[in-house]
Amino acid sequence: MTGNKDQGVTPLKVITIGFILSGILIGIILVSLSLGPARISLIDVLTWATGYRSVDQTAWMILFKIRLPRILLAGLVGFTLSIGGVVFQALLRNPLADPFILGVSSGAAVGAIIGIVFGLGFSLGVPLLSFMGALFTILLVMGISSRHGGLESSTLLLTGVIVNAFFTAVIMFFIATTSDSRLHSMLFWLYGDLSQTRYVQLSISLPLILIVSCIIYVFSRHLNLIVGGEESAIQMGVEVELLKWVSFLGISLITGIVISFSGIIGFVGLIVPHLMRMVLGPDHRLLIPASALGGASFLIAADTVARIILSPSELPVGVITAFLGAPFFIYLLKARGSQWTQS
Amino acid sequence: MTLGPQTKMIITQVRWYFHIKAYLKIFLIILLFSSPLSSHAIVFHDSLGRNVTLRSLPMRIISLAPSITEMIYFLGLGDRLVGVTRFSYFPKEAQKKPKVGAYTDINVEKVITLNPDLVIATADGNKRGDVEMLEEAGIPVYVVNPRRIDQVLDTIERLGELCGVTGRAKGLVSYLRERVVRVVKAVRNRGRPLVLLVINMKPLMSVNRNTIHHDIIQLAGGRNMAGDQPFTHPKLNLEEVIRKGPDVIIISSMERGGEFEKARKEWFRWPTLPAVRKGNVYLIHSDLIDRPASRIVNGLEEMARLIHPEVEWDDR
Amino acid sequence: MDSELILKGVYFSYDSQWCLEGIDFELKKGETVGMIGPNGSGKSTLLKIMDGILKIQKGEILLRNKPISSYRRGDIARQIAMVPQEATFRFPFSVFEVVLMGRFPHLGLFPFEGKEDLEIAHQSMRLTGTLDLARRSIHELSGGEKQRVLIARALTQRAQIILLDEPTSFLDIRHKVEIFELISSLTQAQGLSVIIVSHDISLAAQYCHRMLLLNRGSVYKTGEPDEVITADNISTVYQCPVLVDKNPISNTPRITVLSKKGEGKKEMV
Repeated sequence: MTGNKDQGVTPLKVITIGFILSGILIGIILVSLSLGPARISLIDVLTWATGYRSVDQTAWMILFKIRLPRILLAGLVGFTLSIGGVVFQALLRNPLADPFILGVSSGAAVGAIIGIVFGLGFSLGVPLLSFMGALFTILLVMGISSRHGGLESSTLLLTGVIVNAFFTAVIMFFIATTSDSRLHSMLFWLYGDLSQTRYVQLSISLPLILIVSCIIYVFSRHLNLIVGGEESAIQMGVEVELLKWVSFLGISLITGIVISFSGIIGFVGLIVPHLMRMVLGPDHRLLIPASALGGASFLIAADTVARIILSPSELPVGVITAFLGAPFFIYLLKARGSQWTQS
Repeated sequence: MTLGPQTKMIITQVRWYFHIKAYLKIFLIILLFSSPLSSHAIVFHDSLGRNVTLRSLPMRIISLAPSITEMIYFLGLGDRLVGVTRFSYFPKEAQKKPKVGAYTDINVEKVITLNPDLVIATADGNKRGDVEMLEEAGIPVYVVNPRRIDQVLDTIERLGELCGVTGRAKGLVSYLRERVVRVVKAVRNRGRPLVLLVINMKPLMSVNRNTIHHDIIQLAGGRNMAGDQPFTHPKLNLEEVIRKGPDVIIISSMERGGEFEKARKEWFRWPTLPAVRKGNVYLIHSDLIDRPASRIVNGLEEMARLIHPEVEWDDR
Repeated sequence: MDSELILKGVYFSYDSQWCLEGIDFELKKGETVGMIGPNGSGKSTLLKIMDGILKIQKGEILLRNKPISSYRRGDIARQIAMVPQEATFRFPFSVFEVVLMGRFPHLGLFPFEGKEDLEIAHQSMRLTGTLDLARRSIHELSGGEKQRVLIARALTQRAQIILLDEPTSFLDIRHKVEIFELISSLTQAQGLSVIIVSHDISLAAQYCHRMLLLNRGSVYKTGEPDEVITADNISTVYQCPVLVDKNPISNTPRITVLSKKGEGKKEMV
């Protein structure tokens, strides 16, 4: 799309792209609903919905109690992680950033693993502990990196790396000393496990995610400016420090919530923003909604593959995103690496 | 008086005879003490066909798995144990024994320091490298590998033989065999309900035919729902379970604080499952079915009771 | 002429030592001032102070006769624009998009540019000769082209005061001149007030009405180029022997830096 290049992003463009991507998203949701070990076609759903045929209880239950909540959570996770990736890449001015780079993921993982060790329930207990882990990590990293009330990007990155390394060691400790079935739960969580999603989990996460996303979107043109340098941005009136605080905190919070329920699903926050930027340009007013919708579609598709590829057994969805994401990233580096090392 | 030449010959021969006997005796005694094999040295073949040579009755035994510990105590040989693994908590007495690590991670040094004359390992869990290191240190290691109930009973017998209590072992095992037969007979011709054995809730995991659990389910008169899965501990898609509709759901658990109740409630979200409709969602203690030791027969009996409650089981 | 910017007794420090001491300075409307001085003399810092980005500890800064601290950041951005030495864009924005970013201080709550904004951006690009670069990615440009784009961006801010921080440092001689020419024509056409920080003393002298020579955080001399750029002043402040004569074409001071060989000969002249 070269339209941006001499017209800028217009509301019309955003709405149009938004429509197209939403259409794709809905399409993927419908297709994913019909895929699985139990064969349920959309035609069946229609005939049941309209009362033309009496509802097959089992199939109905499978669709709406198993598949749909899972698909919706996958969409929500993809949505959140992609926005997080876009924002972090802009604020940290680093194309390798994703919302996990500051340590939120490993903090959440430690929380979840502790929850698993203590035998807490998977619908609310483990996620709660996981979120506490995420929160603790966010405050720790931001606290260490704040200087005179400002957040230094390079300090943030470094602190994130160290925190990640430390918590990864903690995770390894737990894994090494667990030998019963809890080990499986831990490992699956670490690679993303969307099975047995409950609607209550969605209703807990959705409001905050929507609020934060809207706030972030309001700042999209500010993010554009920051890409050109923090100082220039300040000069033109962007409140860079405030933006950093709000964004890092907000994104980390919603990332923490979402991975508390889904486990750590990598590559989405890294790849989707780059993909969308390649196709639609770097203007965040378009990039943010596009990445959000694209990320949702991507993760739903990946989760569906994870569900059916070894059916009726399952793979963790993080494996699929890694298989898809890593080669793509290598391609990106080869094709466009020079841009990122430009001075 | 002079002896005739024949008499002289006879006397010489008799003298010779006594001399030879003495020589023979001396020879035998020398042989006895100089030979590396004393008369108690026996070569055994373990479950993997390896040669295990014991010079004397094993009195300092180290068990490298909780199931092995249980079997040793079952044979009444608990006193001979000088080392066990971390999770060898059954029977209670075993908890006081020195620990040599967890069965997936043995502390080889500790084993050697305890100076055992026999180490019993399992092919399912212990590392081959550890076994080799122990053998290089001159310690005999006997490896067991029971995969089905009959193999468990067989292993108990062989361990009994290994430790010199063959008779006792035979007796105990035949008692266990009786109980197994009793179960098999009782559930014969009573149909085979579809059983889902849940070994982990999230992700949902069961067992395929390559497990001892599968054997238990079969003998207990059930059909293992995940039997045909390609992986040993497959992660199941809930949809598939709902589609197949098991008649009995058995959750294997260590019964950590209400975890079972939570798991049970989870299953009641799916009222179309026959197991849920009939209320057939049960708990079984993991140790009874995970450990290939004597209690596995308890596990079998428990499983049979859950799968076929209609049978009149005598309560023991 | 009114003053656009007045600095009175300004002191600033980053930490424990004063970086800028006792700065008194006035920028009059329509003036082009060249700020020169050795590295570390505080030129960039002074620019940031003037832009209100850094807060001073002592003294007063008046922007159009009102204290700069009384302005909101957005207001300042509509009046003062900065052209940095260089700008790294981490992601490939197009030239047009970069220039359009200059409209940021003018956009209200509605985050999208209107027709007027697009027009202003086009105009700025026309004035800076960058219109044909509009669709190119900012990453593809040469140093000179990029500087012109940054100037175009500053123009779109529609600020009356423009601060340029060493705009020609990385450019070859032709492009250096181009930039100075561009700034000169723009300021004349639109009555802009400009401060250019530069190491190209001779070139700056040809285009600036006044010079400001900084030494170790304080004003060494201000005044017309002839007054400020003398052999004495320059060699003292830069601690390097120079020869100053007149550029025969423009009649402005011209500096010749003396090598070790030349130093001896200088005595003979």
